[in-house]
Amino acid sequence: MTTATAQLPKSTKPVSLVTRWKRSTWIPRVLFPITILLFWQVGMQVIRRIWPFAVDVLPTPMEVVDMMWGEIINPFVEGKQAITRENLYLTFGRSLLRLGSGFVIAMVIGTIIGLAMGLSKAVDAFFHDWVMALLAMPALAWALFTGLIFGMGNRSPIVTVVLTGIPFVIVNVREGVRNTPRELFDMANAFKVPRNRATRHVLIPSLMPFFFAAIRYAFSIGWKGLVIAEVFSGQDGAGWTIKFYYDAHRAHGIIGYAFFFVIFALLLEKLVFEKISNRVFKWRPKTTDVALVEALFDGPDDAASATAAAQI
Amino acid sequence: MAEIKIKNLHKEFGVGDDKVVALVDVNLEIEGDVFVSIVGPSGCGKSTLLNILSEIETPTSGTVSITNKGHAALPGYVFQAARLLPWRTVMDNLLFVQEEVTDAVRARCQKYLDMVHLGDKGNKYPGELSGGMQQRVGIARAFSVEPDVMFMDEPFSHLDAITARSLRRELHEMWKATNKTIIFVTHDVGEAVELSNRILVFAKGGVLKDDIQVDLPFPRDPSDEQVAIAKANVLKKFEELDLVAT
Repeated sequence: MTTATAQLPKSTKPVSLVTRWKRSTWIPRVLFPITILLFWQVGMQVIRRIWPFAVDVLPTPMEVVDMMWGEIINPFVEGKQAITRENLYLTFGRSLLRLGSGFVIAMVIGTIIGLAMGLSKAVDAFFHDWVMALLAMPALAWALFTGLIFGMGNRSPIVTVVLTGIPFVIVNVREGVRNTPRELFDMANAFKVPRNRATRHVLIPSLMPFFFAAIRYAFSIGWKGLVIAEVFSGQDGAGWTIKFYYDAHRAHGIIGYAFFFVIFALLLEKLVFEKISNRVFKWRPKTTDVALVEALFDGPDDAASATAAAQI
Repeated sequence: MAEIKIKNLHKEFGVGDDKVVALVDVNLEIEGDVFVSIVGPSGCGKSTLLNILSEIETPTSGTVSITNKGHAALPGYVFQAARLLPWRTVMDNLLFVQEEVTDAVRARCQKYLDMVHLGDKGNKYPGELSGGMQQRVGIARAFSVEPDVMFMDEPFSHLDAITARSLRRELHEMWKATNKTIIFVTHDVGEAVELSNRILVFAKGGVLKDDIQVDLPFPRDPSDEQVAIAKANVLKKFEELDLVAT
């Protein structure tokens, strides 16, 4: 005789502190910056004792935070003037305007070329080698080249953003078109679904993951290209300001501005990209595969193992 | 209900040394609310015939006409895998294949979801359903266009035996309730005997070898003696026709 149990046996073993620590994600997340700051602070103290000149070139975390805080509040404090020609907000505003313009141009042209390459072998053969060459081209080369051609002003950084970002858009969109599930188109054909409806509901949604990858790549790569272009051919903007601090031999300014970039990129990812992505891809099943692999190292998570057992 | 006429149908893939002959001189007539199964070993051209009938592929030569009272018949299709759009809900997957979306069409789609016992899953995404449930949605989608003829390409071959059995019962009930012409491709002789009035036997190389009438009352239980005998007879024919792999 066989018996079947509907419920999993509940573990009565108490969960140890170490297991609990291994399972939580926020503790290691917070632990990372704390460890870095600690090493940084202690390391600077030690180096400054051995090499006093390091005060100018190797700042402590607090000096960087001071500088950043000053940049944030100075524009609103009467009598306080920015060290650089323009305050943080104007500087980032200019850079973002350039980045945004270059990004939109790269996305539009890159999507058109990527679609054409995915749909036509002849177009693919025509552009393929050029796109590979563009991918291999360093942003520095574009920055110098556009600087020479366009001189100071907006054009050089914008064109650099376009040229650095566009090959990533093209490659991703092309791969997206090539990976469109053929069997879904066959299904639409079998049911005599009109072509434009099939394009709207089969081609475009299947392109979305690739399109999002293209957006993220174009943004992050274009951002780096922009800063380099501003270093060489800018009279303002974030790249130029970092160069200003470099010329002034003030490392806390360079690090502080680099942090502003990182914070902005993280905010953009969390508040914009992630939110749009969650909305567009809400149809994706919540998989426990990742949790199951992690369980090999961290020990099984109760929820994950229960779901896995239920699936078996 | 539809009227299917196939004359001298021939299908080849590739050219030169790569040429593969999928169907050879197939002649067939199917009429009325019949359930016709196409059986045969792998590579006998079963799915190719279905793809030609549903216009996914075109014949190399020969003619195919599928009509309903003189007009082009409306087809429905159930695939081996459910082929649902993963980014659209179950109800939206049904609406995707409709000519137009009205309240009446929505109600019709809901009716067929109810028939496959998924009436409460209209707002779910396919990824949230099991394989059996997804195939049920595929069946509901095909019926929801109220087709004159239904093409089914090994729809239960990916499912476990228990799920496949219950889906076969549901399919039989839906066929009886809607009076469709159904063309059903399968490699499972038992399944063909359980469901069909007529079994077309294809041999490797795409040759139509036999056309068997199954005159047993419905519903047919696979454990029923008569059904078992009918299945054994069809398998015996396979041996006579030398279709059994050695």
